[in-house]
Amino acid sequence: MLQDNIRNFCIIAHIDHGKSTLADRFIELTNAVSPTKMREQVLDNLDLERERGITIKAKAVRLLYKSKEGKEYHLNLIDTPGHVDFSYEVSRTLAACEGAILVIDATQGIQAQTLANVYLAMDRNLEIIPVINKIDLPGAEPQRVLGEIESVLGYSESDVLLISAKTGQGVPQLLEEVIRRVPPPGGNPSGPLRALVFDSYYDSYKGVVLCLRVVDGEAKTGDRLRLMGHGTEIEALEIGYFIPGPKVTDALLAGEVGYLSTGLKDIASCPVGDTVTLSQDGAETPLIGYRPAKSMVFAGLYPAQTDQSLELREALDKLRLNDASLTYTPESSPVMGQGFRCGFLGLLHLDIVVERLEREFGLPVVVTAPAVTLRVTTTSGEVIEVINPTELPSPSKIAKLEEPWIKLSVITPFKFIGPLMEFIKESGGVYKNTEYLGEFSLSQQRVRLEYELPLRAMLTTFYDSLKALSQGYVSLDYEFIGYKETKLVKMDVLVNGVLVDAFSRVVPEEKAYQAGRDIVGKLRETIPRQLFDVAIQAAIGSRIIARAEIKAKRKDVLAKCYGGDITRKMKLLEKQKEGKKRMKMIGRVEVPREAFVDLLKIGT
Amino acid sequence: MHPAGLLFITSRLLAKSASAISILMDKVAIYIHIPFCLKKCSYCSFVSYGGRRDFIPRYIQALKKEISTRVVDNPVATIYFGGGTPSLLTVGQIRELSDWLKANFTFDNEIEVSLEANPGTLNKDFLSELRQMGINRLSLGAQSFHNDELKMLGRVHCAEDIEAAFHLARNAGFTNINLDLIYGIPGQSLMKWEETLKSAVRLGPEHLSCYLLTLEDDVPLTQSISDGILPLPDDDVACEQYELAEAVLSEYDYEHYELSNWAKPGFRCQHNLFYWQLAPYLGFGVAAHSFINGHRRANTGKLDTYLDNPFSIEEDNELDKTHEVAEATILGLRLTEGIDLKEMDCRFGDMFSKYKPVFEDTMGLGLLELAGNRIRLTDQGRFLSNEVFWRLLPDS
Repeated sequence: MLQDNIRNFCIIAHIDHGKSTLADRFIELTNAVSPTKMREQVLDNLDLERERGITIKAKAVRLLYKSKEGKEYHLNLIDTPGHVDFSYEVSRTLAACEGAILVIDATQGIQAQTLANVYLAMDRNLEIIPVINKIDLPGAEPQRVLGEIESVLGYSESDVLLISAKTGQGVPQLLEEVIRRVPPPGGNPSGPLRALVFDSYYDSYKGVVLCLRVVDGEAKTGDRLRLMGHGTEIEALEIGYFIPGPKVTDALLAGEVGYLSTGLKDIASCPVGDTVTLSQDGAETPLIGYRPAKSMVFAGLYPAQTDQSLELREALDKLRLNDASLTYTPESSPVMGQGFRCGFLGLLHLDIVVERLEREFGLPVVVTAPAVTLRVTTTSGEVIEVINPTELPSPSKIAKLEEPWIKLSVITPFKFIGPLMEFIKESGGVYKNTEYLGEFSLSQQRVRLEYELPLRAMLTTFYDSLKALSQGYVSLDYEFIGYKETKLVKMDVLVNGVLVDAFSRVVPEEKAYQAGRDIVGKLRETIPRQLFDVAIQAAIGSRIIARAEIKAKRKDVLAKCYGGDITRKMKLLEKQKEGKKRMKMIGRVEVPREAFVDLLKIGT
Repeated sequence: MHPAGLLFITSRLLAKSASAISILMDKVAIYIHIPFCLKKCSYCSFVSYGGRRDFIPRYIQALKKEISTRVVDNPVATIYFGGGTPSLLTVGQIRELSDWLKANFTFDNEIEVSLEANPGTLNKDFLSELRQMGINRLSLGAQSFHNDELKMLGRVHCAEDIEAAFHLARNAGFTNINLDLIYGIPGQSLMKWEETLKSAVRLGPEHLSCYLLTLEDDVPLTQSISDGILPLPDDDVACEQYELAEAVLSEYDYEHYELSNWAKPGFRCQHNLFYWQLAPYLGFGVAAHSFINGHRRANTGKLDTYLDNPFSIEEDNELDKTHEVAEATILGLRLTEGIDLKEMDCRFGDMFSKYKPVFEDTMGLGLLELAGNRIRLTDQGRFLSNEVFWRLLPDS
């Protein structure tokens, strides 16, 4: 197909603003999938994502479209991830497009993260088509949302389309607008191959599969290729595109979007953002700079049963096949046994990994308190990075301690900013800026607040608290801005005299006592009574700052065995035994995994 | 049908050990479930129906059909009419069932025949006729001697009814009477429990069952607790109540022979001993359970299904060796005298000796103790017995 008849675009939308539904309509309208086979939201792959209503892995689908004028087009719809933890992946997707449809929910208005992604798209000079979705809903306020779009993004009413992805209203016009407004791909069809890797995944038959946008030249089956940034040599074993199922073809030409299977095992050797060129006589400069995804949040993952560390390693290996941003190194703890210090893009990423380990691999894991990377300058002048609180040197050896800070952007209705600002300030936030989105009466006005904040403050219940303070009407986005000096101390927790490194955490000095009391109190609630008394203590160094006791239990009995129903009795005991398996032994004390999870929810 | 599996077990047992258990193995205990009540109690999760008494005649016919089809050769040692409220049946209906059993099974010379009765449903003639018919053990669902507690539990009788029923039963010639009591009731103080115990003891029953209230998920009482209308029973209070029962009842010469059961010498419930010793029993009726020829069987739990087809079952599983040894050990340990190590060794060999580390661990925790050839729960271990039992389950 001629480059002139190709359009590459993506959809930018907040979670639940209707991106997947809109994609479904596009696919229906272009008959890429027969309606009988139409599974709703065909672009989302993993069950987990479907359940959570979010899209983690980007895919691209080629839609064959005949315009009203009767011309045939290839529309390549590239799916974007929709969560704050995955902003790097979003930026790579944008780099593969010439246009973006910006979807905004008519009942909710612009959200912080959408805004962040729109700015990214503008930076890349993408043609943006603003769309107000869900206009069929009773609570829709298209005029108000239009006002926000005009004031914040500078579009005029005539630029904005009103649609309902659910009913299909306005969607055919939107396709016409894509053809009219989004420019066809540029690029040099006869130059040496340059193709952008905007996504990748592991397939057990095809090995690592790269999702590509060819900019210059062409990629053919059997070509010897090279990743310019990482240096990996690959062979194009199979080339094709998605409709949305994979369809094999001979070559991808300039302007086209498709996939290439490599047979490689290690997804990290083919990083997203890298440029593919020919092994011999390839291009000289890559399309864009790429950086490997950098983990910002670290936590220890331990198998609930100590003898399963090998299984955990295998499971992590498998997860990493599809998730280059997950990192892990073995670590061992006197209490927890063999485990892994894992790096994540953010907390949602952590949640997803933990859930997949349990669901897909049947491996219940214990997660230690998440921590950020601390930069320590020792008294001898050495600079070290600490990702595990237990490895923090003693205070006398620390000359300077620094922690990562972020720039935080929060969008919320004006009426909630009082308590929100107070809470962010309490969390260590430094106020930077307020922006009013459009001009409305105060009851309808929404604002964007900008703060700088230690990343550490976001690790626990920060987002939940923001939601609670704004009745759920809040969205946020953040980016890393650098390291700043800080005063933190390491607090340890002892269970019956055993120091549980998994409970250790780094807290601001002035909040240590409160944190100690909270943690000890929470453990007292979550650790069940044992066959003996259990003491729980919080300590800074050798100084005990909080203490609680759990009295020995006295009752654990099945009173009655009615009419010979022994099976039922045995089932109850089986259940108890299963429950014990989910316990982590700390010394002689059985600690339920929930205790670890609940502790994570205590903010410091 | 010929109980080949059973014969195998018994002959092997007899060859190696001539214990009390092996004698039970040749016999059978019969349980008959009567799933009808005046009204369902607030804590009850058993299969029973308040307000379907019109179905009793049809139910009796279904029972007879089931009984005559599931006859075994073993002589019957005990019969137990449980429920529900078996005392809702007429004398004629009870006689019809026991005659039917006699016609189909061979009976031991000394047979224990128990019937559960609600104290609010009894009168003199009924009791006399039961006694004459051969029912020789009466189990009264007393539960409590406090009317506020009885009301909370949804019982249809009051404290005075228990005493009246007890005296009626004695006068009718019952020399083996049990009272069921419940403790761990929401808001029940140690003192109120003591009063209930003492009231029960004053009547002088031969047998007492003291059951810890179990809060099942699907019953109104549990709902009232989760709604905050009633307080959650306190575990420590329950434990003290149990210890109090031990103290009071031993003072009145009741032997504590099973976790929840006390009896005057010579009056242990023969029927329940079949359960605890993994000896064969046949259960007839809705939701009745059987253990015979190495099979655990559960009849359907639905009355309508049973009336349509009294052979409908919920499950029928052969108990494999690993589970059999676990159950024999767990059930045996419920008895105060515990289990005979030699006997278990003979019966199960290696499968039993693999429990050695578990026994050592739990003895270390003070839950089990050795007494000669036997191993048993300690005083402290009895109320924590699940901590011993779950460790004995086979790895699934």
